Amino acid sequence: MGTNRKRLVAAAASMVVAVSLAGCGGDSGDGSGPKGQTDQEVTEATKGGAVFSLETAVTQAWDPQRTYTGRDLSNQSRLVYRSLVDFPKGVTDNIEGQTPIPDLATDTGQSNEDATEWSFTLKDGPKWQDGKPVTCEDLKYGVSRTFATDVITGGPNYIIGYLDVPQDADGQPVYKGPYTGEGQDAFDQAVTCDGNTITYRFKKPWPDFPYAVAALRSFDPYRADQDKGDKSKLSVFSNGPYMLDEKGWNEDSGGTFVRNPEWDASEDTNRDANFDTITFEIGIETEVIIDRLIADEGNDKFAFTSRSVTPAQYPQITGDVEARAVNFESPFSNYLVPNFNRLTNLKVRQALAAATNRAAYVGALGGDKASAPSLSIVNPSTPGYVANPNFGKAEGGDVEGAKALLEESGETLPYPIKLTYPIGSDATDKAFAALKATYDEAGFDVTLDGLDPSGPYYEQIQKPGSDSDLIWGGWGSDWPSVSTVIPPLFDSRVNITKASNGQDYGNYASDEVNAAIDAAAAETDIDKANEMWSEVDNMLAEDVAYIPLDTTKFYFLHGSGLENYVNSAGTNGYTDLGVLSVVDGGK
Amino acid sequence: MTLTASNLESHGDDHFVDAEEDERSGKVDVEGRSPLRLAWARFRKDKLSMAALVVTTLFALMAISSPILKRLGVIDPYTPHQDLLDYATGNYPKGFGGGMSWSHPLGVEPGLGRDVLSRLMYGATLSLTIALSAALITVAIGTILGIIAGFTGGIVDSAVGRLIDLTLSFPATLMLLALSGVVVDRMTDLGVPAGATVNGLYIVIVLSAFGWPPIARLIRGQVLSIREREFVDAAILMGASRRRIYFKEILPNLWAPLLVYFTLLMPAYVSAEAALSYLGVGIKNPTPTLGNVLGGALEYAYTDFFFFFVPAAVIAAIVISFNLLGDGARDALDPKAGR
Repeated sequence: MGTNRKRLVAAAASMVVAVSLAGCGGDSGDGSGPKGQTDQEVTEATKGGAVFSLETAVTQAWDPQRTYTGRDLSNQSRLVYRSLVDFPKGVTDNIEGQTPIPDLATDTGQSNEDATEWSFTLKDGPKWQDGKPVTCEDLKYGVSRTFATDVITGGPNYIIGYLDVPQDADGQPVYKGPYTGEGQDAFDQAVTCDGNTITYRFKKPWPDFPYAVAALRSFDPYRADQDKGDKSKLSVFSNGPYMLDEKGWNEDSGGTFVRNPEWDASEDTNRDANFDTITFEIGIETEVIIDRLIADEGNDKFAFTSRSVTPAQYPQITGDVEARAVNFESPFSNYLVPNFNRLTNLKVRQALAAATNRAAYVGALGGDKASAPSLSIVNPSTPGYVANPNFGKAEGGDVEGAKALLEESGETLPYPIKLTYPIGSDATDKAFAALKATYDEAGFDVTLDGLDPSGPYYEQIQKPGSDSDLIWGGWGSDWPSVSTVIPPLFDSRVNITKASNGQDYGNYASDEVNAAIDAAAAETDIDKANEMWSEVDNMLAEDVAYIPLDTTKFYFLHGSGLENYVNSAGTNGYTDLGVLSVVDGGK
Repeated sequence: MTLTASNLESHGDDHFVDAEEDERSGKVDVEGRSPLRLAWARFRKDKLSMAALVVTTLFALMAISSPILKRLGVIDPYTPHQDLLDYATGNYPKGFGGGMSWSHPLGVEPGLGRDVLSRLMYGATLSLTIALSAALITVAIGTILGIIAGFTGGIVDSAVGRLIDLTLSFPATLMLLALSGVVVDRMTDLGVPAGATVNGLYIVIVLSAFGWPPIARLIRGQVLSIREREFVDAAILMGASRRRIYFKEILPNLWAPLLVYFTLLMPAYVSAEAALSYLGVGIKNPTPTLGNVLGGALEYAYTDFFFFFVPAAVIAAIVISFNLLGDGARDALDPKAGR
């Protein structure tokens, strides 16, 4: 499934790390809609110095078309790959920080009336690391690679469904990517170059296309003569301020990026490029990373991470360590879905929704610093977010209400429920034990079924005949729009096949909802579209197609030698490398 | 190694003398003292072993009583008490020693606020049940194969010998981790109730499947010497069945090494269960075992010391007392082995 990767990251971010909140700033989501995540600001910086990124998970890919993890999408954009449009640097406000600004293009794109055709004109000046200019052909080649679904795997391949390339008998595009060249004519009609102007043609309206360009790396340029297919997975050919040093990228330990001499600071105002080098150290345990950052010694003074402080380490974040910590709501939201093949009684689903004890769940995850109860599947940082009134109070856990609903349902009690969730930390187990305690009190008999998220978990929940009754899901939108939340999770047409339910883990299928999704997706006026999306959300809530749980919070720590440490909205809440600098340039 | 009446006699012992005197004076009927009874007399004189026996018995009583106490509502390993936690610090228990109070003598766990004492008591039940079942099965398999191999000899003996080599050459822990998902799924398909039952059963099966070879070797050695003895020859000459010879003639002479081996196997399996739970193969959330209670507490070693210390101390106490008990039993049953 196309969106797997971003989903897995959501799972990893919220479940495995399962931790965080704002030491400085500390806004604990009152659900009033998008706003700045922290009060961080960009101040004057000195150039120079070396910074270090300490990470647990290996980098899946440095190939822009194969990248789909929030952290890597952001890092690549700030360091090595420029796009037609980009999100502004150093802005924590969710609206401003997630509004595309021109990068390689002269403006943020021109569309036709119904948003089925978008054109961008390239600037003069951007160059690759070998001094050759970035051309329209490079852009066109970049997106063409996504069609080679046998080689270019792991990225958001679903975007090929948008481009106006005819389908073959199997419903696959006739174009098979640049490596075989099969169906090249069809692709050449969908994406055209006219001098410095590139035009994309879509099958269906795509009003927020510039957001997708800025958020994903799929539309980034790629140099055909540098493409070695699958072997390019971890190689970098840069047009940004940095380039991989001569040692290259080591899959297990990371690598170092140095300045790219061909990059012109006067022309690229989206990246400050303050530090001289950045080194990625990967494969370190989260607890060890946090311990090193607390100790703040040697090179770790200039280090940062995308791993949140674990609850067990919270008491150590005091005094001057606390001044180096930030805690805020991440763009990742978590929810439960009832399995519609099994829980066919609406009253039972409503009882589950009423008895869901979000306060206890959040408490078990580590409390205010780790997560915040949420009342919608849409993340509060997404423009168009509305707290869904159908789900009652934020803390949840209405045992009496649930008991009454269960009684009305006419089912035999206690009602057995198998709750399937991905195992991770000890906090995860406690969080689900907390949910079980309240469900059981209300008249359910919950069996917890914790499975390994690296395989068995998704195997179990994506099986259409699965015997799970209630399933955990986590999601971060691909770009800041409800259109990348509701359709990929609840549109039965894109999800449900004979073999799998895709991302629609609850096997939810409703023709009315599908029709409402189509209408909202085609609306070109963003405000009107958001209203329509919130109507779709209400329809889902009335059916109890999902039960919102929480918004994961990030709780990041960084070294004392760093300045301009900003968790921008445009970098998915991770460290914005476009503004990060070293105190006194490391001198 | 084997204990028989003859070599016990040569080992002077005042109880024995008393008995002889009683016999001579005709005060009592002649009472046959089994080697085990004599060993018990010796065991009683060893204070450390007796202390270990008392502690072990207490743990056993606790393990037996906690399901009843849970049903009566005296202990409650599952109900969260989040009101006892401090949200501002990331949900650490309020107060001294991880939230110790009269209603929660050992405190509550961070995050959820479940009662630590209840979880430990109920966890001990499951852990000891697993260890006990696995130890019994291990000893049973080892004994049966050991007797068969030792008594039959020939091709059967070498077949069992190769089977032992084969089993010993498997990396047991690795297999346990690697196979767990598949085997547990398969067992669930076959109708074993999912959750704690199937995971507990899996541990029992794997521990005993990989644990029997040492005991089979030991027993085989014992049987090799016993089968040359006159009473075995006599039984064969009288036409006793194989079964009778195995279980009535040979087995009674093996109780001593079996008992020692068994008491040493128990603590090994208690710690194995703890280690496996920590690695994520054991019984899972929210059912407590000693292993997963400790596993959940490990990361709190710096920040909530009591929460970490208490389960660690309980496991240590169980393992040490069982080990001392095993040592004491060996000394008592085999006085010639020395210390």
